[in-house]
Amino acid sequence: MFFFTIRRIIASVLVLIASSFLVFALCAASFDPLSRYYTQNPRPPQAFFDNLREQFGLNDNFFVRYWNWLSGALTGDFGQTIGGTAVTDQLWGRLWITGKMIFFAVLIAVVLAILVGVVGAVRQYKPSDYAFTFLAYLLIALPTFWFAALLKEFVAGGINDAFGRQVLYTLGEESPGIASYGTPSEIFWDRLGHLVLPTICLALLSFAAWSRFQRSAMLDVLGSDYMRLARAKGLTYRRTVMKHGLRNALIPLTTVVALGIGTLFGGAIITEQVFVWHGMGEYLLKNGIGQNDINVVLGWLLISAVFVVLFNLIADVLYAVLDPRIRLA
Amino acid sequence: MKFSKRGAALVATGIAGAMVLSACGGGSSDSGGGEGDSGSGRVIFGESTDFPENLFPYIAAGNATSVANLLIRVLPGPYVVNPDFSVDWDQDLLASEPELDTSSGQVNTYEINPDAVWSDGTPITAADFEFTWRANRSSDPADGGCPALLGTTGYEQIASVEASGDDDKTVTVTYTTPFSDWQSLFGNLLPAHVMDNDDPAALCESITNGWPIADGIMDDISGGPWQIKAENIDVGSQIVTLTPNPEWWGEPTGLAQLVVQNIGNDPTAAVQAMSNQELGVIYPQPQLDLVSQIEDLSPAVESDVNFGLSFEHLDFNTTYGPLSSLAVRQAFTMALDRQEIVDQTVGQFSSDAEVLENRIFFNNQPQYQDTAPDEYKTQNTAMAKSLLESDGWVLGSDGVYAKDGQRLTVQIDTTANNPLRETTINVMIPQLAEAGIEATFNANPDIFAGAEKPTSLEAGGFQAAVFAWVGSPFRGATQSIYEQPQGDAIGQNYSRQGTQEIDDLFAQFQTEPDPDAQAELGNQIDALLWGQVATVPLYQKPTFIAYQSSISGVEDNSTQAGPLWNADTWTVQ
Repeated sequence: MFFFTIRRIIASVLVLIASSFLVFALCAASFDPLSRYYTQNPRPPQAFFDNLREQFGLNDNFFVRYWNWLSGALTGDFGQTIGGTAVTDQLWGRLWITGKMIFFAVLIAVVLAILVGVVGAVRQYKPSDYAFTFLAYLLIALPTFWFAALLKEFVAGGINDAFGRQVLYTLGEESPGIASYGTPSEIFWDRLGHLVLPTICLALLSFAAWSRFQRSAMLDVLGSDYMRLARAKGLTYRRTVMKHGLRNALIPLTTVVALGIGTLFGGAIITEQVFVWHGMGEYLLKNGIGQNDINVVLGWLLISAVFVVLFNLIADVLYAVLDPRIRLA
Repeated sequence: MKFSKRGAALVATGIAGAMVLSACGGGSSDSGGGEGDSGSGRVIFGESTDFPENLFPYIAAGNATSVANLLIRVLPGPYVVNPDFSVDWDQDLLASEPELDTSSGQVNTYEINPDAVWSDGTPITAADFEFTWRANRSSDPADGGCPALLGTTGYEQIASVEASGDDDKTVTVTYTTPFSDWQSLFGNLLPAHVMDNDDPAALCESITNGWPIADGIMDDISGGPWQIKAENIDVGSQIVTLTPNPEWWGEPTGLAQLVVQNIGNDPTAAVQAMSNQELGVIYPQPQLDLVSQIEDLSPAVESDVNFGLSFEHLDFNTTYGPLSSLAVRQAFTMALDRQEIVDQTVGQFSSDAEVLENRIFFNNQPQYQDTAPDEYKTQNTAMAKSLLESDGWVLGSDGVYAKDGQRLTVQIDTTANNPLRETTINVMIPQLAEAGIEATFNANPDIFAGAEKPTSLEAGGFQAAVFAWVGSPFRGATQSIYEQPQGDAIGQNYSRQGTQEIDDLFAQFQTEPDPDAQAELGNQIDALLWGQVATVPLYQKPTFIAYQSSISGVEDNSTQAGPLWNADTWTVQ
């Protein structure tokens, strides 16, 4: 197991370096961080442009620029944004915000997906199965931004109207400045009110696809010989399904969920945008690509890629836990 | 299989409990409360541009609309730009109207209000004017300047800034060469006692670092009714809370807190947050859906469309074959129905939208004159065709003119993903087709890139382009757009066209301190620019403000002063 992990990590580092090189090349070819100043009226003096070119390292050869970035990144220094802030400082804050947003969403989605997937498989072609299937496909088909807008309009609007005060919020993590004037319980309910809609939005959309995986994996398992054998040996149906069926049916879902979580750490881009959470997705789009900021894009890439790699590793380890026959040596 | 009710309840409790824990968990910094005895209530302003990384307004990192909005009532300046584009002296900072003496060169005298102090109690004096000048006067380190400065315009023409009078409250600014836009200077007065350094290199380093957002403004200094304390800046949540400046000597603020929250540019998020009363005031880029949805929230939410300092125009590249001919440019302009373009674009937002007939002054400026010749005022297809024919162009069987085997085709470039500009060009195309000119639309991602990108405005690899100039009521800066190119040094004259007469008038325009005489010169210049038709003005872009009707005093200022220009007078019920 240990050597397997080491091997995976070494391979991942090589993949990270190769991908950072490709993305650096792409950004260096297409980004021009000075472009917004050319049409500034009055035009800044030439010394201003020369100074920025020097500061951003634009006068250096491409390979020198890449090496400068890479050697910094290897020591944990992702360079500065074009606004002069350390990328590392910004990344942790962004990651924390995205983490807060997705943690409970993933938790809820996994629990729901397993429940609904198992129920759907056990009661195949029963009304409950049809209902959950319909719901899952409906959620899969809904565009995130639209689903979020519906939640805001009807769920937030409806609940707030029903209570006659603000219970659910549509913007940000907490009411601005509430820490300065709210009591601890007000702050608590305020944060919870901000967390509910993005969590529901992300959870339901992720759950929909995952529940389908869980259902088909469960169906596969239920039809297998060892399940029949377990029943023939006199185990109760409930014990067969829970102990022998579910455990095996979780293996495919583990891969899907692990990959999904890794990707979500790169930013639930649309959900962040719609609910105005300043997380990783916004960081890539606005601060990175929008500002033509190569250090931001690469910092984002590395951190997101690390999470994808990490959760893949976790998935591999979980395989071994769920299926004792798998021993990675 | 059945799940027990108890199991389901456990799962539900677990999840709910987890969310509860998350809500308890910290993550955002504590924000200090409002201080001072003035004002009550709080208003949240939804900033839709960005969250700044630096608050120092004179460098690239602090050169953002969001910074200008935050600082408008924090750092004082001698002049206030009003919503009607007029300019008045600031009666809080100054004791009397500044004097202009042109008897020998240009000398301005400012009398600072004896009560004016910074938020730490230090008096605002001539030393602050002198320091602001010295910090901004040069970008050449050899001359004691700083290359990080975004501009030195105006300050570089000042010979000296001297103190006199009681407590150094009289400021005398002497210019080496007259500067017509002198009222635009000292707009963000810098605190000398906090920032000054006798060593120019150390001062330049301090300017280059600026005021990083996480640290706030140096020493939390303020010279206006609002103060930004570092403890009230929440970088993670992108929220800045302004509180009353305890040392403010003018009328106290109407609110206890003004909160500026970055809400991004998603129009749906802004509308729903207004509907849910999470925001008090928003100032987004107007889009048709957004405006109509906000109007649906009336009377709880009030809104207003105005026309601001940014104007769209069509630029011809006069080095491109057909467009190098004046007759072709004239015919092109005659073929356009600019009223129709306005109706189909900004006219959708407000019936007040007008065709802009002047490049130097805006429709809503007092100096504005309609200088356009009659033939360009309405669509004039027949005249356009006859002009082309007299220039040797022959109408082909495909309905497009050609000359010496070259068809009269023009590709009109613009920025990618800009619906307003795309509509503008798409309205032009059939109008031009009627006059036998084949125009095509091209979204050019490199349009504003440097000269190393061949299709950029800088490199000149375009044929025609639609884009905007963002200006201020001080119009001297337009010189670099219309001055003749000197070899490769084109300034911002992307059409690469000009005359000596225009250059000479601009030289006077820049140095005429008398506002009336300057206005006359500006309109003369614009009349000459119509003679060249290297650029065609189209329309001013709209601004859009919306606010909860419980908030009083909100008024759009579509100049660079922005929506928060009078936020110290707002009150909330």
